[in-house]
Parts: sequence; structure tokens; C-alpha cells
Amino acid sequence: MKNRHVLRLAVALIMGLAATACASDVVAVVDSTGRAVSVPQPVERIASAYGIGTYYVYALGAGNRLVAAWYVGVKTLGQAPDSLRAMEPRLDELFSVGDPNIEELAARRADLVLADAAKHEAFAAQMQGIGVPTLLLAPETTQGVVDTTLALGAALGEAAADRAARLVSDFWRVFAASEAATRDVPSGERPRVLFVGSSALQVASGAMYQTQLIEAAGGVSASADLVGGWNTVNLEQVLVWNPDVVIIPPYGNVTVDDLLTSADWQSVRAVQMGRVARMPRIFAPMDTPLPESLLGVMWLSSVLYPEWATFDVRAEAVAFYKAYYGHTLSQVEADAFLVP
Amino acid sequence: MSAPRRRCLWLLYVLPVALFLVALLVGRYGGGVGDAFRALFSADPNDVLRSLILRVRLPRALAALLVGANLAAAGAVLQGLFRNPLVDARILGVSSGAAFGASLAILLSGSALAVQTGAFVFALLAVAVVLAVGWRLGATPLVLLLVGIAVSALFDALLGLVKYVADPLSKLPAITYWLLGGLGGASWSNLVPLALLSAVGLGFLFLVRWRLNVLTLSDDEAASLGVRVRPLRAAMVVAASILVAASVSQAGMIGWIGLVVPHVARAWVGSDHARLLPASAALGAAILLALDTVARTALPSEIPLGILTGLLGVPAFLLLLVGYLRARGATQ
Repeated sequence: MKNRHVLRLAVALIMGLAATACASDVVAVVDSTGRAVSVPQPVERIASAYGIGTYYVYALGAGNRLVAAWYVGVKTLGQAPDSLRAMEPRLDELFSVGDPNIEELAARRADLVLADAAKHEAFAAQMQGIGVPTLLLAPETTQGVVDTTLALGAALGEAAADRAARLVSDFWRVFAASEAATRDVPSGERPRVLFVGSSALQVASGAMYQTQLIEAAGGVSASADLVGGWNTVNLEQVLVWNPDVVIIPPYGNVTVDDLLTSADWQSVRAVQMGRVARMPRIFAPMDTPLPESLLGVMWLSSVLYPEWATFDVRAEAVAFYKAYYGHTLSQVEADAFLVP
Repeated sequence: MSAPRRRCLWLLYVLPVALFLVALLVGRYGGGVGDAFRALFSADPNDVLRSLILRVRLPRALAALLVGANLAAAGAVLQGLFRNPLVDARILGVSSGAAFGASLAILLSGSALAVQTGAFVFALLAVAVVLAVGWRLGATPLVLLLVGIAVSALFDALLGLVKYVADPLSKLPAITYWLLGGLGGASWSNLVPLALLSAVGLGFLFLVRWRLNVLTLSDDEAASLGVRVRPLRAAMVVAASILVAASVSQAGMIGWIGLVVPHVARAWVGSDHARLLPASAALGAAILLALDTVARTALPSEIPLGILTGLLGVPAFLLLLVGYLRARGATQ
């Protein structure tokens, strides 16, 4: 496993160097769908029509080059977290929502467009047709997050490529540390985790990113056998799984108190043991495949194995937001990473 | 009525009761029917299976019975009133109104009470608009149908708007799932309004079911028999709408029950509404309870109830159609 990490780090560095070498001309970037897109350098005006992709742009230090941006989980400006507003003073000007309008993005003179591989194939073809390089992105897995980071690093120039390499090595460092800490825990003894969605009876399927985060943190998803996206289940099924831990995402209506005080949930082991936790949120939800999910893994690790303290999550979070977003966490924001 | 039919009629009313008992004894949790039966009579208040049966399965089974009875009875009444075998509650804008109301409530609040209230209020609002406009234009069945289609289209457009602005991570999946229908949210507390409204609506229709036969005649014929056609028709539409609104606000969009079940009941007991109405209600209750039991036990995740009613309703509808055409000799 360790060898594989070293190998991936080497690949990351080589890709970073390749991007450096081509920085003055045109770089060919392979997007999530396998298309090789020629991106003339330097990229100065980015439109991110992919709400997840936007956060990569910030993490790679290119937020000041955005000319239009979609933000995952933010459908109206009122929903934007205060921390996002603090990090991006131009939010009102950049904020976009709904289907991207090709003429609007052309009018903003975007020279690179990021789009959603799941639904923007035709849009990407149109943008390419008017000469604007467009990358279709679909991270979806931890490997996908790494690949997307490197691809965008290559597209956005030398400084971004350096940061991409650092971010990727941070990912491998965290995965390796978590794996080393839990290596000797037999699969039957790993905490069984139920990751619920925007309501308590919506649970993550095995195919979702949430399941990968749980596994990376050394847990086992109780609902890993389900397929598709969010599945709606009933209380009986929750009792059949009888999870050791319940994780609530930072969006939706469910609170920790809701579950701990619900009469219906009192027979669930996680509730009996008080092991119900809600993910913190600074910019984007950490259970989505974007850079902040690195903190999602560390936070989950500290929830699943509190006695081991594999990571100092609060300190890691402070350093992460400073290094990749230039954002200084407030006391309250930093304390959100402390596991109760 | 022939002797075999009379025996079947008896079965019709036993079926929901038998299915109700089965529904209490089966589920994802526990070792099977035997365990459930033992748990039901267990004196241990901490028995998980017992508390599941009493807190989850029981209110849910009752809700399924009521929703099934309401939708089928309302369908039978509306098909009679509009003298049209293709009518169900959708035609009066009730479903579209409820869908918009529930989605708006999910968008703005998300609490179960808000969703149920939103669906109910907008379902009745849609019917009120249909009746208000239809009344001015003469309140004939055709006018009400056409106004109903227009109002449905209006609320469908508004629903589209709500979905477009909904947050794709949290709100949109909730709206989509609600629209597929299901009784996963049934509990003792939200069963109370459903039960009260069902009692009012079903009670009223049960009392006036004899007069419904008269309304299936032309307006002039009905009037000549001393029936005040427009007020009676409006009262029946309101009662049927209350039943549907109470049901969809609890269970989301559940199609086909209101359309197909009255036809099956009609084939069973004939078209006299005095018998057809209770038969439709009993059959609707039994079918929806059976489907909901499948929905919550067949797979680890819930199967949306609207999908199951569609899968069963469409072939049943086509079978009825073939039977009808054969009877008329139209297939030759």
C-alpha cells in the first residue's frame, strides 16, 4: 500500500513538472471523461459551471481568476456560509446558478470553463465549438479527487501545479496515516457507520463518496450494499444494521439532538452510545469529492477512533485553510473540528 | 345479485382485515412471523420488535388502509360524477396542487408537519380554483374537466419552478422522493388528521351514495327527479377532494389506485354506487396495504409506493380495457 502511495506521489510530481515545462504555450489536459483538452497558457479568466470544481480553483490559488462560479450546495446567495463570503469578497459578482448560459460565459470572456461530466456534455461541446477550452469533471472517488486536482493544477499554470502536488501529497499522507493506524483492526471489529443524508432515513449507498471517506477513516459503511445515490430506508432496516456510529452531513435538517432524543431511534446502538456526530462545514460540504474532503477523512477518523487521536484535526484544519484558501479560521470555526 | 357474488362480497371486506394482521407481523427486522407474534404479546416494554410493531408498523398499516380507501372511493365518486371512466383525482388539480404545496414546504422549511400542511392546503386551493371558475361557467362535467386540466398545468409549472431553484444536495432529492409517494413518514401524530378527514369525507359520501346514481344521469334528468344538481355535485367534489388531499399530503403522489380500483370493484359488485362506493374503499385499502407491505419489506431501501402502484395499475388497467372491448365485441 505504501509503495503505491509513493508511486502516486511520483506521478503527481511528474505531472506537475510536465505542466511547468509547458507553461508558456499550450498544455494538453485529460479531463474526467478521458478527453484531451488543449488549454492555452496562461489561463486568466476561469468560469466554473461545476459547483464542486469551483472549490478546486480556490484551493489551487486561482480564485482571483474566476469570472463566474457555481457553488455546490448554494442555490441562492442567502445560503452561502459566512466563511465562504469572507474568503471570496466578490461572491455577489461571481455567483451563478442553474444551467450555464453559453453566451453569458462568452461575454465574460472566459478562457477556461469547468463543467459537470454528469450533465454538461452538450454544453462543453458548444463551448469548445466557440473556442473556449472546457474540462468535464467528475471526481466521485478519492482517486478522482486526486486526478482532478492534478489535471486542474496542470491547466492553471506553474504555481497551481505546485499546490496541486502539495495537496495530493497531503491526501496520501492522511490516507497512509489512517491506514497505518487501523491496519490491525479486523474488518469485523471496525466501527459500522451509517451515513445519513438530508433526512434521518436517507442513507448513503456503497457507490457514494461518503462510503469511501468512511473506509479511508477505517470504518465500515453499514449501508454499503445499497446501490445508486441516496436511498430512503425505514427504521426497521436501520435496526437490522444497528450501526455503531451515525454521521450527519453538514446540510439538511437532521441534528444530533434530533436523533439522540428521538423515541424511535432509542434502540439503535449508536444512539444508545451517544455516537452521533454532524460534520462541520466551512466552505463546501466535506462529504463531497473536493479538497476539503481531506479534512472529512481526518474528522471521521477522530470520530471513529477518538482514543487514538491519529490526527490533531483542529490544528490540521487551521493549517489546511491557511495553506490552500488563505483563510484564517475563527475560534468558532476551528473548534467545530473538535470531536465532542 | 347472484349467490357466488354475495360470497365474494364478504371476502372483499375480510381482505383488508387479514392483510392488516399480516402487515403487522412482517418487516425487515426480527426473525419472522412467529417472533413478531410473540413480541406483540410480550410484556417487556423494552422489546425492540414490539415497539417497532406498535410505533412504526401499526400506524403505517392504518395509514395505508385509509389512503387506499380514500383514493379508491374518491375515484369511484369522481368517475360517476363526471360520467367518465378515465377520471381520477388528478383531473381536478388536487394532485398538482398537493405536489406544488409539498415541494414549496420542503423548499422553505422541510419539517414533516409543514410538508403535510402545505400539500393539503394547496390541494384544496387547486380544487377551490377549479370549482370557482367552473361554477361561473355552468359547472357541467366538461367545464370542470377542462378547468381542472388548466389548473393542473398551472401548478405543474409552479412545481417545475420550485424544483429548479431547489438545492440539489438536500432539497431536490427530498422533493423527488416525496413526489414518488410513500408511507415511510407515517406516525401516530400525523395519522390523526388523516383519520379525521377520512372519517368526514368517507362518512359524507357513504350517506349520499344513493344520490350519486342520480347524478350519473344527465343534468336535466337528475333535476327532473328533484335533485339540485349543481350544489350536490359541488359538495361531492369537495368531499372527494378532501379525501384525496388528506391522502396525498400523507403519502405523496400515488397514482392508479383512484383510477383502476373503482373499475375492478365495478366488475365485482356492479355499478350501483350504493355497493360500489364501499367496495371500492375496501379494495383500495387492501391493495394499497399489500403494496406498502412489499414497499417496506422487499429490499433494504424503501421502494417508492407510487412506483409499485404504477407497476400494478398499468397492466390491471390494460386487462380491464381488453375485457371491456371483448365484452363489446370490438376486438373482432
